[in-house]
Amino acid sequence: MYNNALNLLAILILISSFRLVANKRQNGYITTFRLQSLLLALISLIISVKSMVETKKFDEVIIIFVLIVVFKVIVIPMALRKTSDKVEYKVEKDFFINIPISMLLCCGLVVLCWYVVHHVEGITNPTTENYLVYSLSVVMIGLFFMISRKKALGQIIGFLVIENGLFLAAMMTTDGMPMIVELGLFFDLLTAFLIMGIFVFKINSTFDSIDVNKLKHLKG
Amino acid sequence: MFFILLISPLFTGVIRKIKSKIQHKIGASVFQPYYDLIKLLKKDLVVSNTSSWIYNVAPYVYFITSLAAAMCLPVVYQLRGFSLYTDLLVIVYFFVAGRIFMALAGLDTGSTFGGMGSSRELLISALVEPALFLIIITVGANPEIASTSVFSIYDYVVENSSNTFSTINILLFAAMLMVMIAESSRIPVDDPSTHLELTMVHEAMTLEYSGRHLAFIEMGTYIKQLVFMTFMANILIPLGLNAESLIVGLGIYLLKIVVITILVGVIEINTVKFRLFSLPNYAVIALIIAVLGFLTRFVLR
Repeated sequence: MYNNALNLLAILILISSFRLVANKRQNGYITTFRLQSLLLALISLIISVKSMVETKKFDEVIIIFVLIVVFKVIVIPMALRKTSDKVEYKVEKDFFINIPISMLLCCGLVVLCWYVVHHVEGITNPTTENYLVYSLSVVMIGLFFMISRKKALGQIIGFLVIENGLFLAAMMTTDGMPMIVELGLFFDLLTAFLIMGIFVFKINSTFDSIDVNKLKHLKG
Repeated sequence: MFFILLISPLFTGVIRKIKSKIQHKIGASVFQPYYDLIKLLKKDLVVSNTSSWIYNVAPYVYFITSLAAAMCLPVVYQLRGFSLYTDLLVIVYFFVAGRIFMALAGLDTGSTFGGMGSSRELLISALVEPALFLIIITVGANPEIASTSVFSIYDYVVENSSNTFSTINILLFAAMLMVMIAESSRIPVDDPSTHLELTMVHEAMTLEYSGRHLAFIEMGTYIKQLVFMTFMANILIPLGLNAESLIVGLGIYLLKIVVITILVGVIEINTVKFRLFSLPNYAVIALIIAVLGFLTRFVLR
C-alpha cells in the first residue's frame, strides 16, 4: 500500500520533470515546479506516516513535510512569479535545443542513469535501485534544463529541480535524513534562491532583459 | 459490445458536466449526448450534389469500425464473447480504417474546410501512432505473455491484478492518457465544442454532414473514446478485474472509467488548445514516456 503510493509519486515526479522540459513559458515552469514540490511533499508525508504507524513514535520527517509545503510549494513559487512579473516580459525563444530533441536527450539521460545505477555495487533491493534511478534522472534533467534555457529564470528553476531530485534521492533511500541535514539543505536552498533572485533583477536592470546570453557583452 | 454502444455517450456527457461544474456553471444534463443523437436521427439528410458514394458510406464505415474495435476489447472478464482470439493491434487498424474513410469523405465534397480537417486529422494520427504502438507492444512484451493477443493479456492481467501500480503500468497509463486525448479529439489537441476555423480538426471533416450521418459519426467518436478508456481501465489499471461476480466487476469497471473521465475533465479545464505546430511536442512527450515504459520492461524484473 505505502510502497505502491511511493512508487506512483516517484514516477509522477519523473513525468513532471519531463513536463518541465517540454514547457515553453516561464509561468509554465513555475507551475510545474510547484506541482513537483507538492508531489515531493506528499512523499515525505507518506514516509513519516508510515514510520509513525510502524514505530508509534513521533517522526521528524513530518516537519520536513511542513517545510516543503511552506517553502517550495508556497513561498518560492510566489516569489518567482513576482520576479517574472516584474522583469520585462518579451516573448522570445527561450531554448537552445528544440523541444522534441531535448525530450529525446532527457530520455537518453534516464537510460544513462539506469546504466550507471545498475553498475553500483551494494544495492540489493530492486525498488531502492528504481527510486535511485528516478531521483538521479530528475537531477540530470534539472541540469539539462539549466543548460538548455537562455533566461536566468529558467536556470533558477533548473537549480530548484536539481534540489528536488536530491531530496527525492535522500528520502527514498534512507527513509528520511537526520533533521539537521535537511534543515541545512533548506537554508542553503533559500540563500541560493535569494542570491539568484537579486541577480535576475541586476541582469534585468543592466541589460533590459534576463537573457543570460547578453552577459557576453560584459568584457573589460 | 452492446454495453459499450449503450453507455459510451454517457461519458462524454460526464466530461461536459465536470467541466461546467469546475467553472461553477450548472451545465447540461449528463444524458444530453443521447438527446442530441436522438434529435439527429430524426432529422433529414442534406447531401451535396458533387459528392460521390464515399460521402454516403463513410459515416457507416466509421461507426462500424469503431464498433468492431469495441468488440475486440472485452469490458469485464466474464463478458469476453467473441473476443477470444483477437489481437490488440487489430483495434488500432480498425480505427485507422475508419479514420481513412472520414478523411476521404472530408475531401470528397470539395469544401475548403474538409480538406484542411482531413490533413490535420491524418497529421495528428500519424504523430500519436508511434506512442500507441509502443504502448501495445510493451503490454505484450512481458516475457510471461509474449503476445499481443487480447485473450492471453487478459488472462495474465486477471491472474496478476494485485500488481496494479507497477512502474511500467503507471508510465504506460500516462502515455495512454495523452494518446487517448489526441485520438478522441479532446481539448489540448482539438476542441470538440467550437466551430472556429482555426481550432477545429475533427469538426472540419464532419462539417458537411447532417442528420443521420452526423449521428453515426458522433456515435463512432464516443465509442472510440470509450474503447481507449476501457483499454486503460482494464489492462493498465487491472485493479479488481478478477472480481468473481459480473455485477461487482461491472461496478468496478464503471468506477474506474468515471475516475479516468474526471481526470480528462480536469486536464481539459487546465489547458488550452495547442497550436497545430505545437502538437509534435505533445506527441513526443507521449512517445518518450512510452519509450521509458518499454525500456523499464527490460530493466525491472
